[in-house]
Amino acid sequence: MNPAKNHCFDIKWVLMLAVVAFLLVFQVFPLLYMVFRMFFASGHFSMDAVKRIYSYALNRTCLKNTLVASGLTMVFGVLIAFPLAFLIGRTNLYGKTLFRTLFVTTYMVPPYVGAMAWLRLLNPTVGTLNVFLKNLFGLSGAPFSIYSIGGLVWVLTTFYYPYAFITISRAMEKMDPSLEEAARISGASPLKTLITVTLPLMLPSIAASALLVFVAAASCYGIPSIIGVPGRIYTVTTRIVDYVYVGSQEGLTDATALAVFLMVMALILMLLSDFIVGKKDYITISGKSVRPALVDLGKWRVPLTVLVAVFALIVAVLPFVTVFATSFTVNMGKSVFVPGNFTMKYWGILTSRKSIGKSMRNSVLSAVWAASMGMIVCLLMSYLLKRTKVKGRQIPNFLITLGSGTPSVAIALALIMTMSGRFGINIYNTMLIMVIAYMIKYMMMGMQTVSAAFAQVSPSMEEAAQISGAGWLRRIRDVVLPLIVPSIVAGWFLIFMPCFYELTMSNLLYADQTKTLGVELYNYQTYHSQQTASALAGGILIMVVLCNTLIYKLTKGRVSI
Amino acid sequence: MPVITIQHVTKKFGDTVVLKDFSAEFSDGEFITLLGPSGCGKTTMLRMLAGFEKPTEGEILIDGVTVNSATAFVPPEKRGIGMVFQSYAVWPHMNVFDNVAYPLKIQKKPKDEIRAKVEKILEIVHLSQYAKRMPSELSGGQQQRVALGRALVGEPKMLLLDEPLSNLDAKLREQMRFEIKEIQESLHINVVYVTHDRSEAMTMSDRVFVINSGVIQQADSPYEIYTHPANQFVADFAGDINFLKGVSEGGRIRLKGVDDVLAYDGDLTGDVDVAIRPEQIRIVPDKGHIRGRILNEYFMGDVDDCRVKVGEAELRVAADASVYRRFGKHEEIGLDIADFLVFPDTGDQFRKILT
Repeated sequence: MNPAKNHCFDIKWVLMLAVVAFLLVFQVFPLLYMVFRMFFASGHFSMDAVKRIYSYALNRTCLKNTLVASGLTMVFGVLIAFPLAFLIGRTNLYGKTLFRTLFVTTYMVPPYVGAMAWLRLLNPTVGTLNVFLKNLFGLSGAPFSIYSIGGLVWVLTTFYYPYAFITISRAMEKMDPSLEEAARISGASPLKTLITVTLPLMLPSIAASALLVFVAAASCYGIPSIIGVPGRIYTVTTRIVDYVYVGSQEGLTDATALAVFLMVMALILMLLSDFIVGKKDYITISGKSVRPALVDLGKWRVPLTVLVAVFALIVAVLPFVTVFATSFTVNMGKSVFVPGNFTMKYWGILTSRKSIGKSMRNSVLSAVWAASMGMIVCLLMSYLLKRTKVKGRQIPNFLITLGSGTPSVAIALALIMTMSGRFGINIYNTMLIMVIAYMIKYMMMGMQTVSAAFAQVSPSMEEAAQISGAGWLRRIRDVVLPLIVPSIVAGWFLIFMPCFYELTMSNLLYADQTKTLGVELYNYQTYHSQQTASALAGGILIMVVLCNTLIYKLTKGRVSI
Repeated sequence: MPVITIQHVTKKFGDTVVLKDFSAEFSDGEFITLLGPSGCGKTTMLRMLAGFEKPTEGEILIDGVTVNSATAFVPPEKRGIGMVFQSYAVWPHMNVFDNVAYPLKIQKKPKDEIRAKVEKILEIVHLSQYAKRMPSELSGGQQQRVALGRALVGEPKMLLLDEPLSNLDAKLREQMRFEIKEIQESLHINVVYVTHDRSEAMTMSDRVFVINSGVIQQADSPYEIYTHPANQFVADFAGDINFLKGVSEGGRIRLKGVDDVLAYDGDLTGDVDVAIRPEQIRIVPDKGHIRGRILNEYFMGDVDDCRVKVGEAELRVAADASVYRRFGKHEEIGLDIADFLVFPDTGDQFRKILT
């Protein structure tokens, strides 16, 4: 046995065990403890907490709201996403690349930004769009109210249909186009082909994406907190945060029960979605890379393009324009274009106000830490997954996937309960607890990117270095790393971005010294000045777009959200 | 009347010209093969016949009806064509029966007729006992037959096959060749077959269109393609062949790099390429037509596959198996040339596959 090799072998295992230990202590243990705590709230086993989920009126209402809103969002999301994916992926619609970019862009924008915009557009009394429609059709009252289940569903749908759009588009890309061509040559019209071949083949992906949308909408806190709270429509997530803020023992038990319920539902649906896709994998990749013959829309080409364009304008352009417009508005009752109603003041506040500067520093710092530590974990675990034959090598990957599927409120609550000194670790009120929460929630983004990169570097390249005498660290440094560096950088930003503008967990975990941008924005939006909040949101949007462009360039278009 | 007429078809993808001024006529009952290296444009031609691609210029007529031109376009579903795809494209969510019955269902045929026709076709493709199976329960070869059955069930006037055998293992491939040919003859159907495998083209076709870089090199029977190739590319693509450089003058060709000459009664003079198929060369103990040295021998059972050095060139000789080890390595031998082809030496790198 070569002693040098033996030494490197050890380093590999030490690092990996450290990562696994981290996941066990900070993810598995807190979440399991939360479940345990639900049943043993009063010191001995009891189902009372579970019963209170549906017996206590306040809980029952928020549960109903969450299920109804998420269910409708799921239905509408898929109804929008499938036709869009088909039109953009398989037909000769005009401007497909632009539309795709627009729809996918929504995916990486913090959801609360959409809520802020729609709040301003569809406010029942002064909403810009409401006023516009009222004048246009001479209505007596506002046509829409954002402060309703309908309003909540609308904003949730506009923000979560991209999940379905991306999933369905990818599946459609992977489908062998000759399956559809075979139907055409058998005499089926394009529509008949869509109904008898494309749709049935896509069903598993559609079902899986529907579940994803449901889970995302049910776990969402940003949108219901900004729209639902003023509208007195409470959901499970907003109710949990309220309970935690109140801090009573009973409230905490209720919060725990709701969080466990939400988490279990989310995880079951996520695993179910994986199962559906894995089980019925109809997707066959053809031997030849034939470009799919595009369906000619004929006389429908222009009308459909206009329809999609109008949709894109309303859903992917209007909200962002609104946010920017709001940030320049003096008097919220009037349009920004009214003379004298334009100001740069609120953008000035971004740089001049000390508390904002501090929050920004906190956000950058915690996001940089989460992304960097997260990437180290992802690298090691991807290596374990793709390059070793260790039994149970899928377990860390599974845990990371589970973490990303766990609703943010549940992660935050579990960390609060376990990391406040009760079990010898007290990191409550520190930045570390936020960094850990971010990692648990967002590491999967990096894991997927890095795993995909690893899969593309043939193991024989590494073996060639090994046979040339390079040890493990040396091989990683000389061969593997250079080949996957673009993916590492892309993965880093994919973790960095959502952490940077994170709201839900930060809202539960921040202390005065560790307030982040998301919390700051939320407070301005809800209590102080919508214009300042909009300026903050505008700044975040600009940053998100810059980061995504960078990721796109780095990976030559392979990875971007 | 020809079944298919292709007139001056040019196809471009962006700036890349995939097919250049392609013209052809396929007659009733013909088995046509488009043969060429990958990227030569053969699949694009087939997809234009099916209606999945549109020509940039030119016209295509099927049964006298213009299906592709600057003004007319008949979509695939209206062409009455059967097609077998390289990936089979058997629908995984339907069983064998439903896959095959699909074209008839689209035509809204009565149930009894569908059943009768599908059963007949399943018999022809030897799948009768698999009617209720799902495609995932079938082997590649069986899926292939489902695809073939589906393409035939509507009794199309024309069957298009896009490298249908390339995903099968060698033995099955050979068997399927004869089956496809048999079905074509018994149903008296027109076939356009795309392949890069010359033996598939040779065994099945009435006529072979050899295509390179989007241009038809030669369109002829397999026999003519093999024995009288139009140029070096066709000669090379239709079967193993050796090339020697030479100069033709006064009824003989002097081979460059060696002193030997070959008698020649053709019209070409000046620099020429002499092309000799390995089976046209015999190793003889005496002087023979040209002299060479044995470099290596590979015993193949039916033949003794030799590499012989002639001047600077290396010839492949399919010698009689009985010659194996009769001559030692590097021993000087004579080669008798039974037949050879002569092409003008244009200096082109014809062996390089142009894509």
